[in-house]
Amino acid sequence: MIRQIFIVCALNFKSLPRRFWTSMVIVVGLGATVGVLLSMLSLTTGMQQAILHSGDPGRAIVVSAGSDSEGQSVITRAMAPLIVDAPGIAKDKDGKPLADKAATMGVPVLRKDGTKGYTTMRGLGTKGLALRPELKLVAGRFFQPGRREMMVGRGAQSLYKGMNIGDKVILPGGEWPIVGVFSTGDLMEGQLVGDADTLMTATHHANYNAVLVRLKSMDSFDTFKKALSTNPALSVTAQRHSDWYKRVSSESTIGLVILAYIVGAVMAIGALFGCLNTLYAAVSARGREIATLRALGFSAFPVAVSVIIEGVVLAVAGAAIGAAIAWTLYDGKRDAFGNIIFFLTVSPATVGLGIFWAMLVALLGGLLPSIRAARRPVVDALRAT
Amino acid sequence: MKYFPLVWAAIMRKPARAILTLLSVMIAFTLFGLTIGMNATFTTMAKNARADRVYVGARFGGDMSLAMAAQMAQIPGVSMVAYTNGLNGYHQEKKNKVYAMMADAKLADTLTEWPITRAQWDMLQKNRTGILISRQQATLWHLKPGDDFVIASPQHPRGDGQPWKLRVLDIVGDVGYMSGGYILGNYDYFNKSLPLAKQDKVDQYFVQAGDPTHSADLAQKVDDHFANSTIPTQSITEKAALDVSNVGIDISAVDRDIALAGMFMVLFLTANGIAQSVRERFAEFATLKTIGFSDNGVMALVFLEAAIPCLLGAALGVGLASWITTVLPRLFPPGQGVPIPMMTPSVYLWAIFSASAVALISAVLPAMRLKRMDIATALSGR
Repeated sequence: MIRQIFIVCALNFKSLPRRFWTSMVIVVGLGATVGVLLSMLSLTTGMQQAILHSGDPGRAIVVSAGSDSEGQSVITRAMAPLIVDAPGIAKDKDGKPLADKAATMGVPVLRKDGTKGYTTMRGLGTKGLALRPELKLVAGRFFQPGRREMMVGRGAQSLYKGMNIGDKVILPGGEWPIVGVFSTGDLMEGQLVGDADTLMTATHHANYNAVLVRLKSMDSFDTFKKALSTNPALSVTAQRHSDWYKRVSSESTIGLVILAYIVGAVMAIGALFGCLNTLYAAVSARGREIATLRALGFSAFPVAVSVIIEGVVLAVAGAAIGAAIAWTLYDGKRDAFGNIIFFLTVSPATVGLGIFWAMLVALLGGLLPSIRAARRPVVDALRAT
Repeated sequence: MKYFPLVWAAIMRKPARAILTLLSVMIAFTLFGLTIGMNATFTTMAKNARADRVYVGARFGGDMSLAMAAQMAQIPGVSMVAYTNGLNGYHQEKKNKVYAMMADAKLADTLTEWPITRAQWDMLQKNRTGILISRQQATLWHLKPGDDFVIASPQHPRGDGQPWKLRVLDIVGDVGYMSGGYILGNYDYFNKSLPLAKQDKVDQYFVQAGDPTHSADLAQKVDDHFANSTIPTQSITEKAALDVSNVGIDISAVDRDIALAGMFMVLFLTANGIAQSVRERFAEFATLKTIGFSDNGVMALVFLEAAIPCLLGAALGVGLASWITTVLPRLFPPGQGVPIPMMTPSVYLWAIFSASAVALISAVLPAMRLKRMDIATALSGR
């Protein structure tokens, strides 16, 4: 049986050059479909990777119950020490818990192209830097607690105007000078960083937004979480930093992902009709060959399978071309959405998805023609001109 | 037209092929209609943006004070200042979020391009608990003029602790950039009903520039004026605010590329279909030429054969897209900021143009082949 399938397939592919342009309908149809799908997904994949990269599972973030963002969350000064003293938090060299009470706020900035946008100004507490070993100074110096000055992320510096050391940024309570440039390799690079208490004084904000802690060990999250949830004085939720960013990433990209799938699906339906068309044509063009094989004793099944295989091979070839085009055009290109800086990514996973998508279309598109090929009475097919 | 049955017979010779081609073209044009329609929405938004309007908000978030209105009016170049405060709340259940713009009297003089008549604006001033509700919102909440609409708001509670009971005065038209529709209420009533500590707040100022060409400078002037105050401002011209490229990704280009990819796919499909059809009927075309059809006549038949599924498919596809645009607002409730594609005449024109181009390009090679064919050879079937 396998041998028969192999022979029929070989015969099909030998005749492919004669049906080159017809076959191209499948290749181009799925090439366009997969190309569009992967191009759109390169945006969301890149964004997701940038966001997910920011979450360290060894850290936990505490926000007020029900908050979806740090901006919404309110941690009062009465709540903060209770969180910081909870069990499960790693201790610094000085014996104090590695916990950072942080404040964030939106800051208007001017993009390099002159348009107006917003980024995040993050106020860090005394342990803010110790908690973030990934934060490295690139130029200048660290900000000093108590002073109205700040550092700018490498990404923010490249996106916005007036972000060099010595430049001043309008913040509440006057102009704050930039004293340093930092890199983190994650979302924070698109942000500004300063001292939390100074920022809160300047903005007349009495409350913190969130508390970030370094867990004693990976397993101590449950201890920490339980301590917070059983404390009647607290109404907060603790999440692993990585889980927090998983949610942020899916929330900020879900719309685009759905859009990509809808567009991809619509194009796939278009390609499906093309596929059906081509394979029907292929079956009718090879009617006599098929009938001859049947007359020689080949059974109907290998004939049917061969039609589907032909469709799948052409579809996968198309998908590969589409993926290659999307990859050369977009992969690795730097882009920014708001203050999220990311690289467009055509990942192996999305390429796999594209190929799977194409195979599915080819399977569906090959089914009916293959049945026709197998069912056609041998005598009729042989007589047909 | 005389030869239409001839072309029709040619197409229907292989009904499966004809229908599959048609469906494929239709799907591609549905996508085409939606993406190009989306771009039409963006261009319409940018084109209709008022050059003389500047939006002023609080630079670092939160509310502004009502006292700033008088200061803004003093800034040289400002011809009018109007303002709103937002009533944020929900209707019946917390998930049914509602946002109503509580407008001061002067908003009527500045939002003149909104589809609201002077009489309707006046109703809003005369009926303090009244609201004007746009069609989309009215459909969403099943409201008609005369109905009461109750909004509960933890953020903006009434001074007496009661929820806000507002009466629908009239239903007004929607505005493109207010995706999901809008509700307008009476600022003065809202303001005076709030607890004292929450009174005299503004969430947005609408500043009108006397000279539209200087609105960007004016935005800067407003920000400079309040730079060192307790509430610094962030001002943006309507032109800049409604420019899609402002989000950081060129969505228009993405839309165009998707439409183009779809057209490319369809081009291959129809070109292949017509080439096959001509190949199969080579002898028939030779016969037509023998009985006196001119070269151009035969070519016209081929073009027509390609054009019919293309144009028909385009019509069906764009038709489907228009239908989808009428359904979409129901799928995406307000406040999600999903722009709805607009089927402007230019979308239809582009669709007709693209369909014709696809038909033309796909028919060119087969038609040329027919023109050059040797009748005797073709008829002999060699």
